[in-house]
This record gives sequence, C-alpha cells and structure tokens, in this order.
Amino acid sequence: MVHFVWLVPLLPLLGFLITGIWRNRLSKTAIALTGCGTVLGSFVASCILFFQALSPGFRSTPVHLFDFISAGPLRIPFDFQVDQLTLVFLLIITGVGFLIHLYSASYMWSDAGYGRYFSYLNLFVFSMLLLVLGANYVILFMGWEGVGLCSYLLIGFWYDRDDFNKAAKKAFIMNRIGDLGFLIGLFLMISRFSSVSFGEVFSRAPSLGPHSGVMVAITLLLLVGAVGKSAQIPLYTWLPDAMAGPTPVSALIHAATMVTAGIYMIARSHVLYSLAPATLTVVAVIGLATAILAASIALKQNDIKKILAYSTVSQLGYMFLGLGVGVFGASVFHVMTHAFFKALLFLGAGSVIHALGGEQDIRKMGGLRRKLPVTYWTFLVACLAISGIPPFSGFFSKDAILGAAYQEQPLLYFIGLAGALMTAFYMFRLFFLTFHGEFRGSEESAQHLHESPPAMTIPLILLAVLSLIGGWVGIPAFLGGRDLLGNFLAPVFSNGPAASLPAAAGNTDLILMVVAAVLSIAVIFWTRGLYRRYRQGGTPGRGLVRLLEHKWYVDELYDFLFTRPLGRLSDWLESRVESPVIDGAVNGMGRMVQWGSRQVRLVQSGQVGLYIFGMVAGAIILFLIGFFLIK
Amino acid sequence: MNEIVFTAVFGVFLLFSGLFIRSKNAIRFIAITGMGLAFLVNGWEYFHPGNDWPGGMIHADHVSILFNAIALGCTLVYFLLSGKDFEQLGEHLAEYFALVYFILCGVGIASSFTSLLMLFLAIEIISIPQYILAGSQKSNLKSNEASLKYFLMGAFSTGFLLMGIALLYGSTGTFHIGEMNLGGSGIDPLVLTGILFLIVGLTFKVGGAPFHFWTPDVYDGAPSVVTSFMATVVKAAGFIAFLRLFSIAFSADNITAHWTLVIALIAAATLLVGNFTAVFQVSVKRMLAYSSISQAGFMILALVGLGTLAWDGILLYAAAYSLATIGAFAVLIRMEDYTYEGYRGLGKKQPLVALANTVFLLSLTGIPATAGFMAKYFVLSSALQRGGMLWLVILALCCAAVSAYYYFRLIWAMYFQEGEPAILPDRITPAFKGLLIFTALLVVAIGVYPGLVLNWLP
Repeated sequence: MVHFVWLVPLLPLLGFLITGIWRNRLSKTAIALTGCGTVLGSFVASCILFFQALSPGFRSTPVHLFDFISAGPLRIPFDFQVDQLTLVFLLIITGVGFLIHLYSASYMWSDAGYGRYFSYLNLFVFSMLLLVLGANYVILFMGWEGVGLCSYLLIGFWYDRDDFNKAAKKAFIMNRIGDLGFLIGLFLMISRFSSVSFGEVFSRAPSLGPHSGVMVAITLLLLVGAVGKSAQIPLYTWLPDAMAGPTPVSALIHAATMVTAGIYMIARSHVLYSLAPATLTVVAVIGLATAILAASIALKQNDIKKILAYSTVSQLGYMFLGLGVGVFGASVFHVMTHAFFKALLFLGAGSVIHALGGEQDIRKMGGLRRKLPVTYWTFLVACLAISGIPPFSGFFSKDAILGAAYQEQPLLYFIGLAGALMTAFYMFRLFFLTFHGEFRGSEESAQHLHESPPAMTIPLILLAVLSLIGGWVGIPAFLGGRDLLGNFLAPVFSNGPAASLPAAAGNTDLILMVVAAVLSIAVIFWTRGLYRRYRQGGTPGRGLVRLLEHKWYVDELYDFLFTRPLGRLSDWLESRVESPVIDGAVNGMGRMVQWGSRQVRLVQSGQVGLYIFGMVAGAIILFLIGFFLIK
Repeated sequence: MNEIVFTAVFGVFLLFSGLFIRSKNAIRFIAITGMGLAFLVNGWEYFHPGNDWPGGMIHADHVSILFNAIALGCTLVYFLLSGKDFEQLGEHLAEYFALVYFILCGVGIASSFTSLLMLFLAIEIISIPQYILAGSQKSNLKSNEASLKYFLMGAFSTGFLLMGIALLYGSTGTFHIGEMNLGGSGIDPLVLTGILFLIVGLTFKVGGAPFHFWTPDVYDGAPSVVTSFMATVVKAAGFIAFLRLFSIAFSADNITAHWTLVIALIAAATLLVGNFTAVFQVSVKRMLAYSSISQAGFMILALVGLGTLAWDGILLYAAAYSLATIGAFAVLIRMEDYTYEGYRGLGKKQPLVALANTVFLLSLTGIPATAGFMAKYFVLSSALQRGGMLWLVILALCCAAVSAYYYFRLIWAMYFQEGEPAILPDRITPAFKGLLIFTALLVVAIGVYPGLVLNWLP
C-alpha cells in the first residue's frame, strides 16, 4: 500500500482539475461531490496507511516516483516518504479537510464562484499533502509555495472587494519574506550537504561538528520561513487579515493546512535543530512572545473571526514554544488537537455569521443559545478545549508543552500560563457575548435567525466529539494514560534530545496541571460574571485597553518602519533611477533592436542573386577566419 | 534501418494507392496508419538491433533510433493535426503524403549514416521532395516562387557540400566517417578546406546565418502546412546529421580547435539575425519563419559543445521545438488572417486553442516547465562545457529574452486585445482541440520530466 501513497495527493489534484476546468459546466451537486469525494478518498487512503503503520514491522522508506532534477552532483528525486509524523499530518489534513469541504458544500451554495472555490480548496489540500509527503526539502518547498499561492487565491476569493485583495496581497507578501529565508537556507544546505533529501541531510549534518555556525545559519533561515508560514512574530500580521476569505477557508488555513506547515517543517528538521541549540532558544522565545502578544490583542477585539485569528496566532506560539524546548511530539500533539477545536470554532463562527446574514461584530450578537442549539453546544466544547479544561483535548496537549517548558525554565511556564488564562478569558468573552444575554442586532436580522442545515451541523458535531476525546490519545503516564501518540511518534523523534520527559517529573507536572486547570476555570467564571449580561455601548478604552484595541499598533508600526520608508525609497527610485536610467536603457535597447530589425529586414529583398552573393561573401569571411584568424 | 526501408516502401505504396483510391479520407487514414506503423517498426529495432548494410555505410545506433522515433512521432502528431489541410494543396493528396514519407526515409539515413556518400544522399533525399512540396500549390505564384528559390539556392549549396566531401576523400582516402583518423597534431589544409565547405553546405541546409536567406522567403511562400513540416522535423534532421558527422569525424582536439570558433560565430550570427528580424514582422507566419532561424541558432550551440550533453540537448530540442512549432502552425493554418491582429480575442473565442497555443509559444521562448526550457538548458550547458564560450551563452540568453518579445506579443494579442479572431470555426473540431491539448500536455510533460526522452539514451 505504501507504494500507492501517490494516490493520496493525486485525488485532490484530480478534484482541482475537474472542478477547475469544468467549473462552469458541472452542476453544483457534481462539483460538491467531486470536491468532497476526492478528499474523502485521500482520507480513506491515509487511514489504510495509518493502520499499516500500526503493525509492528513498519519501517518508513522513501517511495521513489521519478527523478526530478539531476544537475551535476546534485540529485533531487521526486520521492514521497511515509512515517509516523507524516501520517499524523495526513490524517489531520484529509480528515479535518474533508469536514471543512463538507461544510463548505452547504455554506457556499449560493455563491457564484462555487466551482472556482472548490477547485482552489482541493488545490490547497493537494499542496499541503505534497508538503508533508515529500521526502526532501525541495518537494516540501513546492508544497510550501503551493499553500502560499492557494491562501492568496482564497483570501482574495471575493476579488471584487478591494480590501480583501489587500489582505490577500499582505498574506502573500509576508509569506514571500519567509519563503526567501527558506530558499536561502535550502541553498546553503545544498552547498554544505550536496543533497536535500531528509535522510541524507540528517545523516550528514553531525559531520559539521557541535556549535557549528553554518548549522545555526541554516536552521535560522529555515525558521524565517516557518515564522512567515506559521504567523509568528514578526510576520504574524497577515493571519488576522486572512479572514477576508470565506469562513470555511479560514478554518482550513487555521486548522488543517497552511499555518501548521511551519511546525511540521521544524518538527521534520528536528535533527538539524537539535544540533543548533541557539536556534531552539530563539524558537522558544519567538513562540512564547507570540503566544502572549496575540492573546493580549485578542482580549479586546470585537470581530468574531478576528478573535479566533489571534487565538490561532497565540496557539501557534505555544506550538513553537514546544518545539523550542525540544518536545517535538507534544507540539505535533497540540497541532492535532488545535486542528479539531480551531476548525470547530471557525465553522461554528461561520454558522453564526450565516444565521446573522454576514454580521461579524460580537457586540451586535447575543442570545443565540436558543436559536442555534447545535452551534451553541459544539462551540462550548471548543471553547472548553482551547481554554485547557480537563478532560477536553486542549488540556492535555497544552499542558504537555507547558510542563516541558517548566522543566526547561520555570519562567517560561509562568508566562505561558498567563497566556493560557488570557485565552480562557477572550474565548469566553466571545462565547458569552455571542450566545448569552439579549439579542442586540436589528429587528430584521432577529427574524432570520435559524440553525444551519445538517451539512453544516454534522461537521460541527463530529469536530466537537474530536475536540472532546482527541486529547485522550496523549494522556501522559502519570495520569494513568499510555501516551499513545507519543509512543506512535517515538520512532521519528527518537534521536532528538528530549524525546520524552523524565519520569520523575510526574509529580511536579501533576501540580502544574491542576493549578492551570483551576485557574482557567476561575477565569471562566469571572468572565461569565462580566459579560453574561452585557449591554451595548461603552466608551472607547483608554491606556492599556486602547493599546490592545489597536493591536499594540503593530500594523501601524510596520507601516511606519517599513512600508512608508520603502514607499518613499521606491518613489525616489522610480522618479530618479527607474524612468531616466533603467527605462531609458531598456527602451533604448528596444528601440535599437527595432531599428536593427528594420535594417536587417531590408537585406531580405527577395532577390535570389543578392542572396547568393550574400552567401558567397559569408563563405569567404568564414574561410578567412578559418585559415588566418585561428592558428 | 527498418525505418528507412519501411518509409521508402510505404511511400511508393501510398503513391500507387492514390491511383486507385478516390476517397480523401481513406488516403489520409492510410497515411496516418502508416506513420503509426513506421513508429512501431522503428521502435522494434531499438530492442532488436538489426544488421548494418550495405557495406557498413549505415549504422543505426540507439541515438539514431531515438531520433527517428522523435521524427516519426512528431510527424504522426503533424498528420493528425494538419492531415486534413493537405487537401488545400491540390488534387494529388496521396502524392503529398508519399513525399513526406520519402523525406522521412532521408531523415532515417541522416540519423544513421557512417559514410559521407550516405550523408550526401540523405540531404538530397530530404531536399528534393521539399522543393516539390514547397511548390505544390501550382496556381499560387508565391508557392511557385518559393519552390524555385529553394531549388536554385539548394543546388548552389549542394555544390559546397559535394566539394567538401571530395576534398576530405582526397585527403584521407575514405568516405567512412569513423575511419578518417584525423587525430594527431596539426591539420592538413585540404582537410580544413573540406571541413569549412561541409560547414557551409550543412549550415545552409539547417538555415543558419549567413546562409539563411532562403529560409524566410521559402517558409513564407510555401503553403503553411508544408512549412510546418519543413521548419521542424526536416530542420532537426539536418542538425542530427551535422552533429553526427562532427562528433564522430572531427572531434579530435587538434581538429576542433580549427572549427569551433567558426561554428560559434555562425551560431552568434544566426541568433542575432533570427531574433532581430523576427521582432518587426507583422505576419505571424513570417515571424515563425524567422524564429525558426533563431531556434536553429540555439541548436548550433550543441555543435559547439559536442559531448553527451550536446546529444541530450539536440534530441530534446528536436522534440520540443518540433512539437511546439507543429502545434503553433496547426493553429495558424486555421486562421484566415495571418497577422497578429487576426489573433485578437482568440482567448475568449477559443479558450482551449488559445491555451494550447500559449503553451507552444512559452515553450518556444524557453519558459521553465515547458520542453523548450529543458532543451535550451541542455544545449547551453553543453556549450558552457567547452571553455571560452561564455560570451556565446550570454548572447544566446539575451537573444532568448528578445524572443520573448515577439512570442509574447502573440499571447498578448490572443488574451489582452479585444477583437474578433479571424479563425475558421468550422475547422476547429473537438478532435482537433483534443489533439492540440494533448500536444501541449506533451510539451509540458517533457519540460517537467525530460527523462521521458533522455532515459532512452544508452
């Protein structure tokens, strides 16, 4: 079966081609069936692969498809590799991806670009599958670029809205900055190891010796790529804007694909990162800073999707923290649980927005509990999961990361805990404002309130179940669990430094867990008291609140620091360098070619005699050169 | 060997079947089937090498057979795409097809000769049917003029070729290209003169500057469906013969030192002339004629390089350039108006045709992920391997950039200019569209995975 692994990405690719080429011919039903069916097929194939990997004799070997590039000593085969890490991602991408497709089939039904939407969606899944399946960095990079492109296409899906186009461009440009780092890292890797295959690079990497500056450089450059893709400081500002796209797209970007790519890449390269402890520290610091900054911004936002977007940035920060302190398995665990509850949150938000006819401001919601019961209950599950309340999934994965951070440096833990408490606060602020209290919208929209159709609620229910039980595969030993996921991933991370926590840590961890859970619950009740009976109004905040409402003015800061100086510089270059010098040279060259073209054309007069004269003259010149010029 | 016998016999068979079969569709069907059979017969020899005959003057190795396969495959695509357009030429449909078969017989010899006599024979077998085909539209004055011009100048250049062969024979005492033993030190002036004469003769046949003057007039004057074949498969065959001769007979170090610069200068002149003149054309057909000169300039780069990379390059180039040009011509033939204006709005009216045409033009420019890119990459790197040729490679790259101007102008006309395309809609059948897309996919497939062609090389 492993040899048929190419089926997994092929199906969504076919789906992309079919729904893309015949987007105007096929009926909406046919498009939805193709779009969802291909992803479901991939999911089934991934499941078969997964059960094979559970058998004891499983060993991951690259599957050679064909030679892609061979230039001099460098050979880049087009290989796929299926190991435990890939399998976890395969299941997340195709499983959660399928549910999002299913949800979209109903959510987007009335949109004119139905076929286009599904073709992009399938291409997105295809790119992400390529990314996690590739057995070398080049294939990974192809998928990497693919998701970048798809995110651009989908964020700007409603391209007649100019601000949406701007958001799409922002996402693309931020990603490009990261990609440049990735590319340079890739070239450095080629020059040092003359290979990009995971196996060869990892086995050659130790030869650089400990404390190698090159290794730090490579890992830092790859990190730049990951920071761009996974929306970390300083390249995170694109993700909150990325909600310009249709809501299921946000779910896809935030949960199943795209932003997890950076985590995957670092987890995949854990051998390299373990050789560069300095970079790991940077990863941890960036992760923690992002986690806390994004959480603080989310406290005071009023757009339902924006809050969720900042919460993604913050949760990704936790994953980076996990990577930085060396518990790669725990980060992957958090990727998984986060995929469940974040997809659920976005789809739930979509259901709310759908019911309110496009309203996204939580101050104009309220009291939706009775009108949208399924959405309400599933949303509650997701909020509990993300806030880390036992026994919901987020509790186990987040505490695995925070526990490891405590081992590394207690300060990391306390900052992380503060972020987690903020998470509980802003999630339940969102929850109470949306579902409790009185409805604060207009009379007209109150009339239209309705629960979403089954195609949208079924994914919600399934994801709610996963958000509840998804964490149980990683219950650590000191809680009586067997840490199934950790053991499953162990072969991949076995050569890492801190593959699993020391057993003695059990007691400390237990205390930390209880503290975190109790504090989170306390925060939730406090939030309930604050926002359950919220009424519209209130003045714009001052001081810190104002700072938070304006997202720490980071967008403005970037605007001031980079965009405007760059704009001025490019204005200057445009008027002083571009038009007179470069344009002049280029146009001059063009004019010269055109002039030369006109002259040469005259020779082509149609006279055979002249032609033969030209040929003889040419032959004589060649003979002169052949005999006298070359000695 | 199989290919030579089969195409010759089948050509005669087709010639006679024209006497008895009136139905045009039947004749076209026979011609297409025969080409498929020729492809198979030739492929058979790849796995079951036959004997050399007569007297060791022809030896088909794997490279020859691979090139034959490319030539036959491209001709098959050409027949499928443009076979119906042969009916525009005149009444004698079977004869036009038969002439193509005779040309392919010559192509088979050109790819596998071991004797200079066979080289001469191959070139003549290829040329004479072309003179006829170029003039096949008897009532069309331009077609007649093209035929006559081609014949006059072709005869002139054949003189050079023969003179070169005679001088080499006089100096070495053999026609066999493998037994000339020119290695050692120094060079006999007689040999050098012979080589230079051969260069002149062969450069004429492949349309390189300064012996290219016939190309635009003949390609423009000849019926488009004929030009499509002349500019592709035939031209590529000329290069195979050129490269085969020089890499076997004249590749000793003391000899290459004397002709490499001459060939390099020819390449440079060809690139410059082809590109510069193509820029200012109004007619797409004439633009394609000039662009075929500039593409020839790239193929000459393989001669500068010699070596295995050069063979990779020339074979890829043969496939990439032939497929793309045949495709572009198949679209051109369906236009009422051959100017750039005629293509306006094609992207809206015939999206699939315009898309395929875009792929062909991108491949001709050498944009990555198309076959043309890989072909250019290989010939350029083969030229780079020969020291001191950096200037030529840089010049070639600049010329490739210039070529984007006139190729992209067509894409621009198709997609970004409003207008009613002057296309004949009743000749765009679903089968034609399907084939065109298939050809475009082939171009992309070779570009992404050049092993499709190159893995067959030993």
